[in-house]
Amino acid sequence: MRKALFFLLAAMFLFVIPACFYTDSEMFEVSPVPGDPPVFSVTTNLDSLALPKINDSLEIIYDVEIAGGELYYVYAELAGTPLFESDSTSGFFWIYPEMADSPGVDTLFMDFYYSSNSNSLADKVGYEALVDYLKIAVDFNEGGQK
Amino acid sequence: MRKYILFSGLLLLLMVQHSPGQDIGFKFYFGAASVRMDDMKYLQEHILSTYPVEGKITSSFPPFTSLSLIVFKQFYEQIRIGGGYSFSTTGGKSSYTDYSGSLFTEMSATSHRLGAYLSYSLWGGEHLDLALYGKAEACLSDLSIQSSYNLQNFSNGIFKQYRALSPAGTVGAEISYTLKKISIGLSASYLVDLTGELKEKDGGTSLLDPNDTERTLSSDWTGWQLQLSAQVPLRF
Repeated sequence: MRKALFFLLAAMFLFVIPACFYTDSEMFEVSPVPGDPPVFSVTTNLDSLALPKINDSLEIIYDVEIAGGELYYVYAELAGTPLFESDSTSGFFWIYPEMADSPGVDTLFMDFYYSSNSNSLADKVGYEALVDYLKIAVDFNEGGQK
Repeated sequence: MRKYILFSGLLLLLMVQHSPGQDIGFKFYFGAASVRMDDMKYLQEHILSTYPVEGKITSSFPPFTSLSLIVFKQFYEQIRIGGGYSFSTTGGKSSYTDYSGSLFTEMSATSHRLGAYLSYSLWGGEHLDLALYGKAEACLSDLSIQSSYNLQNFSNGIFKQYRALSPAGTVGAEISYTLKKISIGLSASYLVDLTGELKEKDGGTSLLDPNDTERTLSSDWTGWQLQLSAQVPLRF
């Protein structure tokens, strides 16, 4: 009877053995060798203007040049309010007096996200970016109240 | 599946239990088995090639655990006939990680084999015994493939399970030494798997060659087995 029990225990042992699995969480670890970062430049129609005034409206036109990389995203905000977003290297949008918190000088922020060329996994799938910022002071003295 | 195999084993045990006059016993084998798995290695290479970065295969179906449980009857002095269950497992792993994220793919394969066993003792002394044996089995292969990625605190993955059924045969030689009531031995054998086409467990969709959709990929457990064995006579 003990042998039969031994047999049953051996059989049960067989049936609880798991399939091949990897207990180690070891991964093939890589330190990516970054390539040259892209050469980025941006121009706007306000580059030659100092403190442009916003009367009825103001059009912002931007143009991005990027060598050795890719522009992912452009984002603009004024007084904490999102104004514009795009993935295009050139575009335009408008600012109106009612976008300001109060009359006076305010700042338009533009963020440009573009490829990092770090050769990391995130870079290869477009989830890692370098960011350039542009700040443009604009004058709402002629109006402006949300 | 395991329930049915366990049930079949118990049934076999009951049958031999009520067979008077002849020696009956069971053998337990434990060791490692190499596997061919050409299609699985090919699939693993293909999956690695789809990584957007240069990953690495860190394990590719190496020799891994192999077990058998045989119940037999000694019909003549030299011949034993029986049946049993065998189990082999192996797998593959490829991965990549850097500061920004990680990718990994794990393939896990198991083989459940149920079949008949025949052993012929070439030379048997008081303690030592040299025997040839063969098995004819039905091989049920399970394959699971798990791929996942983690990217800047976002992760996602996919898990697929496939199954194949194929005939298989094993031939081997075993030398054993008897110590009172238990015999311990060393066995070397070669398993030939006639390969079965892998189909998805749920939907029955075939696992196709990614570069030739006319061809279905197969599991192939063909390879050498090296095992230690223990044999215990059963007399109720």
